[in-house]
Amino acid sequence: MAILSGKTKAALLGPLNKDNPVIVQVLGICSALAVTAKLEPAIVMAIAVTVVVALANVIISLLRKLIPTRVRMIVQLMVAATLVAIVSELLKAYAFDVNRQLSVFVGLIVSNCILMGRMEAFALGNGPWPSFLDGIGNGLGYGWILVVLGFVRELFGSGTLLGYQIIPQIFYDAGYQNNGFMSLAPMAILLTGVIIWIHRARNKDLQETE
Amino acid sequence: MEEKAMNRESNVYTILFSAIMVVIFALGLSLIHQTLRPKQIQNENVDTMRQILRSLNIEASAAEAEAKYAELIKNAYLIAPDGSKVVGTEGTQYYDRAFSAISRRDAAGLPVFEANVNGNTIFILPMRGAGMWAPIWGYLAVNADGNTIFGATFDHTSETPGLGDAIATQAFGERYIGKRLFQNGAFTSVSVVKPGASSLRGEDYVDGVSGGTITSRSVGVMMYQSIGAYENFLMNLQR
Amino acid sequence: MEAINLIIRSIFIENMIFAYFLGMCAVLAVSKDFKASIGLGLATLFVMVITVSINYIVVTYVLKEGALSWLGEEFASVNLSVFSLHIFVAVTASFVQVVEMIVEKYAPRLYNQLGIFLPLMAVNCAVVAGSLFMEQREFANIGIAAAYAFGSGVGWMLAIAVMASIREKLQYSHVPKPLKGLGITFIITALVGIGFMSFSGISI
Repeated sequence: MAILSGKTKAALLGPLNKDNPVIVQVLGICSALAVTAKLEPAIVMAIAVTVVVALANVIISLLRKLIPTRVRMIVQLMVAATLVAIVSELLKAYAFDVNRQLSVFVGLIVSNCILMGRMEAFALGNGPWPSFLDGIGNGLGYGWILVVLGFVRELFGSGTLLGYQIIPQIFYDAGYQNNGFMSLAPMAILLTGVIIWIHRARNKDLQETE
Repeated sequence: MEEKAMNRESNVYTILFSAIMVVIFALGLSLIHQTLRPKQIQNENVDTMRQILRSLNIEASAAEAEAKYAELIKNAYLIAPDGSKVVGTEGTQYYDRAFSAISRRDAAGLPVFEANVNGNTIFILPMRGAGMWAPIWGYLAVNADGNTIFGATFDHTSETPGLGDAIATQAFGERYIGKRLFQNGAFTSVSVVKPGASSLRGEDYVDGVSGGTITSRSVGVMMYQSIGAYENFLMNLQR
Repeated sequence: MEAINLIIRSIFIENMIFAYFLGMCAVLAVSKDFKASIGLGLATLFVMVITVSINYIVVTYVLKEGALSWLGEEFASVNLSVFSLHIFVAVTASFVQVVEMIVEKYAPRLYNQLGIFLPLMAVNCAVVAGSLFMEQREFANIGIAAAYAFGSGVGWMLAIAVMASIREKLQYSHVPKPLKGLGITFIITALVGIGFMSFSGISI
């Protein structure tokens, strides 16, 4: 694909693995771990963050030659807040039930460090197309972690996926029980720790030496 | 280029730029808000209808809720404190007074919904109260005898996940079926007790949700206060 | 009395970090050092109480549906909540800026201790979350809202201090290589969080 030169390809694919915003750059853990008890809100959250980061990157990148340096941060915050408010309005109109599960965490996308971090570090110095890909890449890099967490927690916590029963009744008759522990909030962060463990066991260069 | 760079840092440019940005963003967001508002309001209304149906032990999807609501809910009106119907408030539609009185207090009276299930008349009374954090609310369906409970449903915005939020489950609402609101002709409500305990004053009771002590207690208080306001209405039914 | 309940609940039961994991970025960034974490905790507490109070006033008298009715009857149906996010972010960011300037000018020693943390506040999830929860929970008056912010702030400070002291001790233990640093911090946060869950049984 000629459209993806070396640099733009790196902008898109890096964040999925060795540059992952959550487990390597340690950005943006705050705002969304609490919504991963079920798979559906986790997927919606992942999509919302990806869209917001990508669009915010494009807007800032288009305006990068116009924004006065002194009000740079404020402009970034306003772009972020506007996009998040739009996403929140759309969710209220087209995904009412999911929006109720996400509650305040949609609004918290605005203080997601990934969003500010990417605008500041990438979009201010690059053109719209690479910025867009960088946003998509970072959003997805963040999203796959959420989806994995949602998948594991819903499957073992409730025995369902997206609300459909997955673990057959035979298992329950034989004495299997849902692990209610998985639905509790601390499991989200414990599982993230485990993901980091696996990821770093495979990528030795990322291990910390202190 | 040099000149342009200097220009960009001038006060006038900064203020102009900020002003234009703010106006564009505010206009854009307001436009989107106005376009989506009707759809959002409709979602909220359908959600309320689904909850009313849930108190009748009917689980309707968002798509079928409106039809089901129209089929079952025969009448809705406001009642005055003495339990009598306020004249001119009848109507089951979401723009009628009974429906809007669910979310916003109507000075004229309290809303009552009348349903017809398998030939029996059921009265549905909305409840509203304070939960552990934010408001909780619910709907109580009472049989035509004005005493026994036909069904109940509860909801909340932000009770503790995994603990207090269990009040929104069907299993918790079903615990109310068949309980009585009156004992020996006096309103006692139905209290919520710790699983295994029994009620203090001999009234009917249900088990609270495990781990959600404060939320469970709030449900009991909400029912006592909200349904207590309907005491005269229910007494009239019993006569 | 209600305010005290609320403070205790928001410190122990609904702790910003251990129940919602809000403000984790800052925890991971500075929590290797106990003293610095107390500094950051104090700054957060201060900013949180003030911004939540300001935002409460703005929400109640400007943004909420019917909030503008003091302007006259015709404004009673105006609902500006769609802009609440902008207001929260703007209030937080500008308040942080103002505090930073005042502290720098009049208390340079304090600035040296706290100053580096202040800019971090503007994007601290916990601070913005305080305002968003305040809006959602519809507190009865500004005192209750401020009490909630105070409790959440103290809870956040407690949490970051606990994490810092554990991590200081952790330097002397043998952690598996891939878990070193980030991984073990996540797992410890989760374990402390599970410990904090036992508070949810207390009745006040």
